[in-house]
Amino acid sequence: MTPISSTRFDRLIEAFTRGAAQRSSRRGFLSQCGLWLIAASALPLLPVARRAQAGEQPAGKPVRKFASAFANLAQTSDSTRCNYWRYCASDGYLCACCGGGPNTCPPGTSPSPTSWIGSCINPDDGKTYLIAYRDCCGQDSCGRCLCLGQEGDMPSYRPQVNNDIVWCFGASSMVYHCSSAGLVGLAE
Amino acid sequence: MRRRQRAGSVPGTLASALALSIALSSISGSGRAAPPASNVPDSVTRRSGLTLAPMPRAAQLYATNCQGCHGELGSSAAEMPTLAGRVGYFTRIPEGRRYLVQVPNVALNANSDADIAAVLNWLLATYSRAQLPPDFKPYTASEVGELRQARIDVAATRRRVIDALVAAGQVPSADALALPHIVLY
Repeated sequence: MTPISSTRFDRLIEAFTRGAAQRSSRRGFLSQCGLWLIAASALPLLPVARRAQAGEQPAGKPVRKFASAFANLAQTSDSTRCNYWRYCASDGYLCACCGGGPNTCPPGTSPSPTSWIGSCINPDDGKTYLIAYRDCCGQDSCGRCLCLGQEGDMPSYRPQVNNDIVWCFGASSMVYHCSSAGLVGLAE
Repeated sequence: MRRRQRAGSVPGTLASALALSIALSSISGSGRAAPPASNVPDSVTRRSGLTLAPMPRAAQLYATNCQGCHGELGSSAAEMPTLAGRVGYFTRIPEGRRYLVQVPNVALNANSDADIAAVLNWLLATYSRAQLPPDFKPYTASEVGELRQARIDVAATRRRVIDALVAAGQVPSADALALPHIVLY
């Protein structure tokens, strides 16, 4: 087919668009586009993203020293990261990232008198400690450092051992801000 | 000219930087070695100088199963029934003794009958020893195993038990075991 364009540049574009129109189908384009959309939305579900949240994998072989998968990747120095040893069952925003500490509430919030109690292994001494996950209540959600520790967590039909629910019972406000992790004691 | 002088002293700068980094690493190294290896869970408690004794098994069972709501000292928010100075009254009559095992979170607990008996006996002796009857017999595993089969209506049973305690003159006043009125938000 003779090109209708007069200038060289226009002819080039015309050849490209005519070629594209003749070689590709609209359905083919739609199916490809849909495939990419699905692939892009499925990418965050891959285990890669979760591993990144759980903390960096130490170099070499994965360490399997403790029965707890969390403790094998845990550290004891930085309480603003999800793999800090006390956060094995912390479900929510870390108070340490919100202006508080690992066991203190940020200004403007108050600790709930009730708490969810779990147990975590300290990787330094290999002992098990009881940890009270006490929500800080009274301000809107902090939104920083979301961590989803699941050790000892049960489905929400056992609410007394489920950490997805807001533990602000008895606090002056039921509005959840962040989760702290206080040390209760050393287990036997 | 100035620039050239600086360039000339690069090996000197490198040497001093190296010396400084060696000094720093030895400081941080000795800092890491100083605290004893056991009983120092993390930087927070290391600074506090706290040493922890292992909790007795019954106290640990209480902590992981009850303390979250009932509190470390047996009392907490108004929404949660207070144990301290109160719970022992229930053991003064048979129906009250049964009630403490048949309360849903005791009866449906995932722990064994023996563990439930242990934690009940521990919390009664720890938080409410003065309210126990003089002839109080500790719960046994088989007694707990039998009693926890029953499913009760908590509020109605509690009312009935407290009425019976008041009628028998086993509590100092009619409202000794009353729950506070909770005003919802």
